Amino acid sequence: MRGTTSGAGAGGATGRHWRAGFLRGGIELRHLLRNPKEMSGHLTNVVVALLLVVYVGGEVADTATPMSHLVLAGFAAYLLFQIGLVNLPQMLVTEREEGTLLRLRATPGGIPAYLIANGLLVVTVAVGTLGLLLLAAAVVADGPLPRGAEGWLTLLWVTALGLLAVVPLGAAIGAVLPNPREALALIMLPTMGLLVTSGAVFPITSLPAVVQQVASAFPLKWMAQGLRAALLPDAARVAEPAGSWELPMVALVLTGWAILGFLLAIPLLRRAARRESGSRVSARLHKAARSGAVPA
Amino acid sequence: MTGRGADTVIRARGMAMSYGGRDVLRGVDLDIRRGEVFALLGPNGAGKTTSVEILEGFRRRSRGEVDVLGADPERGDDAWRARIGLVLQSWRDHRRWRVAELLSHFATYYRRPRDPAALLELVGLAEQSDQQVERLSGGQRRRLDVALGIVGRPELLFLDEPTTGFDPRARREFHTLVERLAREEGVTVLLTTHDLAEAERLADRIAMLVGGRIRASGTPAELARSAAARAEVRWTGDDGTHHRERTRDPSRLVWELHRAAAGPIADLEVRRPTLEDTYLHMVQREEGGAGAAGSGADVEDRNGTVSGEVSAA
Repeated sequence: MRGTTSGAGAGGATGRHWRAGFLRGGIELRHLLRNPKEMSGHLTNVVVALLLVVYVGGEVADTATPMSHLVLAGFAAYLLFQIGLVNLPQMLVTEREEGTLLRLRATPGGIPAYLIANGLLVVTVAVGTLGLLLLAAAVVADGPLPRGAEGWLTLLWVTALGLLAVVPLGAAIGAVLPNPREALALIMLPTMGLLVTSGAVFPITSLPAVVQQVASAFPLKWMAQGLRAALLPDAARVAEPAGSWELPMVALVLTGWAILGFLLAIPLLRRAARRESGSRVSARLHKAARSGAVPA
Repeated sequence: MTGRGADTVIRARGMAMSYGGRDVLRGVDLDIRRGEVFALLGPNGAGKTTSVEILEGFRRRSRGEVDVLGADPERGDDAWRARIGLVLQSWRDHRRWRVAELLSHFATYYRRPRDPAALLELVGLAEQSDQQVERLSGGQRRRLDVALGIVGRPELLFLDEPTTGFDPRARREFHTLVERLAREEGVTVLLTTHDLAEAERLADRIAMLVGGRIRASGTPAELARSAAARAEVRWTGDDGTHHRERTRDPSRLVWELHRAAAGPIADLEVRRPTLEDTYLHMVQREEGGAGAAGSGADVEDRNGTVSGEVSAA
């Protein structure tokens, strides 16, 4: 019997995966930018954030920092959180249903390329949205920008670590949720709950202690706190629950979630890919067609 | 049905699958040779898709030995995958992509891909190359799936119920495409279908899968011959009673009837069952539940030919 050794060596294969992944990510990004429906979803978030910044008045505690700056930092954190934990799972569930994952599973090197492409897409959308939000707020509503090299550095690492905390987790969620319709309902409720309890949009000290403790187990609170550290003047830290930015804790919690996310995402994605087959995809499509979600 | 070395692309022995105590496949043997178009023919629920998914490496079998292109599909690596192409029933993926863009992208996953533009020409989608995938008709979409399935120059192509839901014209175009692939490109094709006419038209060999078991296999001509082998002779006797008898030698029976009779025999009729009669009969028996637990001995014999009673129409 002939063996199956006609493939390239490991090095060549990895190079091809990255190339295919980058190509794929680029094409997907182009399609996203040309899709008015999806783009309006992301742009609406930015507009809502800008309106909040314009309409929120007052100052943070006893400082000269406008309350609107604190709200903007929190909303920016929420946008990153939402892209990782709402948009990404939805995208994965939809692509599982349509057979994209199966197609790539049937293609040599398809799954690595798929993961690279989607990671790239999510990071680009997240960084793009964040950049757009900060820039628009600064131009339109005198919004905050990082102060000095240290502020920019904080913005950079909090964003990077925040994405590492939510993107693998979002991928894990997207690998297990049943279908795009139910997925949205299942994700949105806890997300909104965290948005309220994490002190992302208003100071967390005004919430009961128990709620604060629960919320501080999740990444959103720490992402918001980290972005406040990057965007607000140092004096504003008196409004924080601990009276400081607690940056080491921000790093620790986000790293913890990143590790947990990877530990969950790798086996769950592998399982999702392994379970894909033609009959599974058609069963899901039939179900979707019956519920009127896609044409039969 | 003997497979020898590298000429056998797919070999299965006793391939079986049970889900939760229900046997979907009850020991299937297959030998598919390089370059042939092989049809797995059977009604819905016969186990065709399960068989194909086991061979594609997408499903773990419960029992049996399976060898596809020299490897166990459960352990097929990327190099093995690259030698296989798939066309499934219900792909709706990459809807926003443009036709040529999608095909060119999937070409990058292979070491020696076909030229995407030439391939679009081959499957008759050159005019649609700038169109969005979601705007294609059902037949066009399936032809794009074929293009995607063969862009990496696979040695083996799986087509799972490829013409389900097609209108007659789309079906004919698709058949022409599969014939070209097989004859001109030498691709080995495993096709599943519940349509006997499709299997007869496309396949070099057919295996009839009913109730998780292969009930008959051979070339369309062999199957037709063995289906016709047991003819039905009907006549009306002198006393006005209707008779009907099944025989492998209708000529002898008719001769004996004539010798016994005083004159002409009333309403004499010899019917040779077609392959379609036999197939429908098997399917009906299965759907009636009678064959589900039975051995199927009366419709199957060891050397892979088909026989069986055919109910009078």
